[in-house]
Amino acid sequence: MDDEAREFEQFARPHAAAALRLARTLVRDEADAQDILQDSFLRAFRHFRGFSGESPRAWLLSIVRNVSFTFRKKQGRFGGFEAAEPDEQLEELVDDGPSPEHTLLQACDAQEVRVALARLPTQSREVLVLREMEECSYREIASVLEVPIGTVMSRLSRARSQLLRELVGPTGSKN
Amino acid sequence: MEPLVEHPRAALHAYLDGELSLEGSLAVEEHLAGCPACRQRLETFRTLRKLVRAARPEAVEAESAFARVVPSAAGTESTAGPDATATTSARAEPVPNMPAVTDAPPGRGVGLAPLRRARRWPPLAMAGGLVAAAAVALVVLIPAQEMRRAASEVAEVHARARDTGRWVETASDDPSAVARWLEPRVQYPLPPFPTGDGFALRGARVEALQGAPVATAVYEVRQHVVDVFAWPSHEGDSEPIPTVTGPWTVCRWAHAGVAYWMVSDAGSDDLKRLAGFLKAQRT
Repeated sequence: MDDEAREFEQFARPHAAAALRLARTLVRDEADAQDILQDSFLRAFRHFRGFSGESPRAWLLSIVRNVSFTFRKKQGRFGGFEAAEPDEQLEELVDDGPSPEHTLLQACDAQEVRVALARLPTQSREVLVLREMEECSYREIASVLEVPIGTVMSRLSRARSQLLRELVGPTGSKN
Repeated sequence: MEPLVEHPRAALHAYLDGELSLEGSLAVEEHLAGCPACRQRLETFRTLRKLVRAARPEAVEAESAFARVVPSAAGTESTAGPDATATTSARAEPVPNMPAVTDAPPGRGVGLAPLRRARRWPPLAMAGGLVAAAAVALVVLIPAQEMRRAASEVAEVHARARDTGRWVETASDDPSAVARWLEPRVQYPLPPFPTGDGFALRGARVEALQGAPVATAVYEVRQHVVDVFAWPSHEGDSEPIPTVTGPWTVCRWAHAGVAYWMVSDAGSDDLKRLAGFLKAQRT
């Protein structure tokens, strides 16, 4: 048991913080997020010896995501994840000319970014958190989200555009 | 790969992230060379990426969750072995308070139901544990220092709304329209935000306090804007005791399962009257 525990520690612990951040992203409530994290670790502990994939992190994060998903369904308050938005519909954001939003953006602080992130739909939040905060590769993200890499690309593109809009408002018109 | 005639969209992000093949990168670079707009977008998104990275919250609590699963892994707080299943049932400790204690999302109950733990706040969690053990009504004692910190965050949020002129995301003086707008966004039950008695409802927005969305009703009284933040809570009822933070008057109170923060450049009396008005409308 002790060996197993040590082994699991080496396997999972480096990703614990990432796992908690993802759980927070998906359920928002801190207490729920920690419960989900604990539950996810329990599951991972039972099964990690059978793991043979290439990224323990992606595997752990996908457990966290599944546990969150089940939790949210049970809560019934979200009715499951929000319906996936069509991935094709990317909005054109920027035209030519000088870039006022870039200047505005540079004035943003961390708190404003968190505010803006919290307003995004789950699908966008999770992909941003995985990419920007955990610095997951597209391949890892694809495995966590169980979608093709092309979908990761388009979700990320849309999520960043949404975040930009949250932070600096629609291009060309403040307020 | 043929050169990109259209502006790369998703591919621009993949390029930024170093996720394109060599061919793909070359195609994007070729396009960038002749397209100032895309170069600009690239720089904008590069800055955005830096900002998001800088906003990464700490997640030290992950350690304790880990320790509960793997007792040998860390410290003293582990009693549960790997087979423990006390995860979602271990919910009996009360939690309290406001979003604003640390950078955690608010410890909010859903549907006014489950009590939560103040895991990020050890002294309070302990107090909460004792209360739970004694099975008495929850009394939340918020240390003055934490209150001040929370108050100044609320004031900051308010000041930012003023500075940007974005008081409301939805403008409406109709309480039910405001409720309809807020509810799906915060995903918890809301108290009514009535209008009357000199308090005019102007609309609402959603603010993130500590990263989680909080319903914010926007009132006007005697030409002062008042932000009212509200979320479900199990703490006992408390009276608003206004304090002054810079130009702002701030107060926190709780009534019948809802915790409130109010902030305004209006005076203490206005805030107390508004609290009284909101309470009266719920009974």
